[in-house]
Amino acid sequence: MKRTGFLYDERYLRHQTGPYHPEVPERLTAIYEGIVQSGLIEKLIRIPAAPADLPWIVSVHTAEYVKRLEAACRAGKQMFDSPDNQMCAQTYETALLAVGGILEACRQVMEGRLDNAFCAVRPPGHHAEISRAMGFCYFNNVAIAARYIQKQFGLARVGIVDFDVHHGNGTQHIFEDDPTVYYYSIHQHPSFAYPGTGREFEYGRGDGYGFTKNSPVLPGQGDEDYQRLLERDLFPAFADYKPEAIIVSAGFDGHRDDDMSDTKLSTEFYTWMMQRIMDLANSSASGRLVSVLEGGYCLRRLPELARHHVEILLNG
Amino acid sequence: MFVSRSMTRRVATIGPEASIFEAQDLMAKNRVRHIPVVEEGNKLVGIVSDRDLRSALPFKYFQEGISPEERAKLQNLRVKDIMTSKVFTISPGYTIQDALLVIQNSKVGALPVVDEEGRLKGILSVRDLLRAFINVLGIGQPGTLLCILVEEKVGQLKKIVDAITEIGVSFGSVLVARYWEEDKRAVFPYLLTQNVAHVKKKLKEMGYTLLDPMQWYLDQLPEEDRPPDQPKP
Repeated sequence: MKRTGFLYDERYLRHQTGPYHPEVPERLTAIYEGIVQSGLIEKLIRIPAAPADLPWIVSVHTAEYVKRLEAACRAGKQMFDSPDNQMCAQTYETALLAVGGILEACRQVMEGRLDNAFCAVRPPGHHAEISRAMGFCYFNNVAIAARYIQKQFGLARVGIVDFDVHHGNGTQHIFEDDPTVYYYSIHQHPSFAYPGTGREFEYGRGDGYGFTKNSPVLPGQGDEDYQRLLERDLFPAFADYKPEAIIVSAGFDGHRDDDMSDTKLSTEFYTWMMQRIMDLANSSASGRLVSVLEGGYCLRRLPELARHHVEILLNG
Repeated sequence: MFVSRSMTRRVATIGPEASIFEAQDLMAKNRVRHIPVVEEGNKLVGIVSDRDLRSALPFKYFQEGISPEERAKLQNLRVKDIMTSKVFTISPGYTIQDALLVIQNSKVGALPVVDEEGRLKGILSVRDLLRAFINVLGIGQPGTLLCILVEEKVGQLKKIVDAITEIGVSFGSVLVARYWEEDKRAVFPYLLTQNVAHVKKKLKEMGYTLLDPMQWYLDQLPEEDRPPDQPKP
């Protein structure tokens, strides 16, 4: 059995989004309960969370943006940059705490104290741009984690796999001209789903051209299309690129019971997909993989999805 | 949605007496395919396109090139000899819809925009129209497309707009399209949000049928044109 880290902190529940918002604290408790009730919690190694140091945040975001977010929180603002981004007085600190926990997970994995890790955090991150909050996201958790791994541990190639049903515009834009981070995303087609980017012809820019890949999937599709596209796009690309660590933007909102999309994935498919991503990590990254929660809003399905997710990490 | 907002104002122009090589250089330099021909006072007298130039120059010119003598001979060819002088024009007050129809009927690639005195104000190319429509449709703005099936009667759209507005969600665009049942319409609101679960729930509670946008699209296609791996609606 692998040494799998698990990041969960009750303080992640403090970020409140108001009524009618799907990105609720209950998502995280559903995930936590699912893992506890399956007994898997005993096999996991808990990762402590502390607020991230600001230099890591500004390795991705502008200092002006970070200040603006902090000030908005202090001033008791309920919305930031877009009506999708509902916030409360604890949002800024919670976002810092999410990044801090993730960086600790990365550190332990990179130092070999853990084999891999699952970070059940809020708020999510992959829509957050360098200086703009979008789509329920404030700090781009995964992008900061990739920068941290590179700067602190000198890796030449980091691979990001984003299977949230929405395209991770923030992560793509942050690394689009950077060949040292490969960003792959599979998501519902941007002509139908948020955020309107992640089209098949977006391959990155400048030096980073060819190190971004997107597999848009038309609405109404499910397991078969996803499998076909992953086999066509992701597996050969990563076999070629040979990332030395893999970060996963794990969004479970493509599930057929999740109202946030018209994508119809089964629970079993998530298991299959995650196992294949684990295989990619085993083949080029010595199994080093850090998975970070993004979306996933079906409270009924999240417990089983999270359980299977960590099971794969534990089995390696 | 007026032409004056979408047209290109800084237009490269040429006089009727200029040589065709000057016209060619001007096109290359400005990376355009149409150059309005103007006389004094910016009066439009014609338009010259890259196709006019290609027809006027010998095939050899584009292949191995031509001798200085041949070039000197062609040098005498003036813009006025090859330009189209019966030009399809539009006025700055035309709507984008007008321009689309003119461009479709006239089968040209660009329309000079002229005022009442025939003075050139700008040019509207197919590319400008595309840009205008990318804007109108909100393509690239973060949002989500819904498809709502409504009965064809007055006031349906208002109910939908009101319901979505109450939730505090903004619209990027709304399209209304035909549906295969005659007394129904498909309404496509492009909502500037990721948070559509709540909107969908409310619309369903109001009794609307929500379609998967793909399903509507497939309905419009004859059976044989449907992608093989798509589910039948």
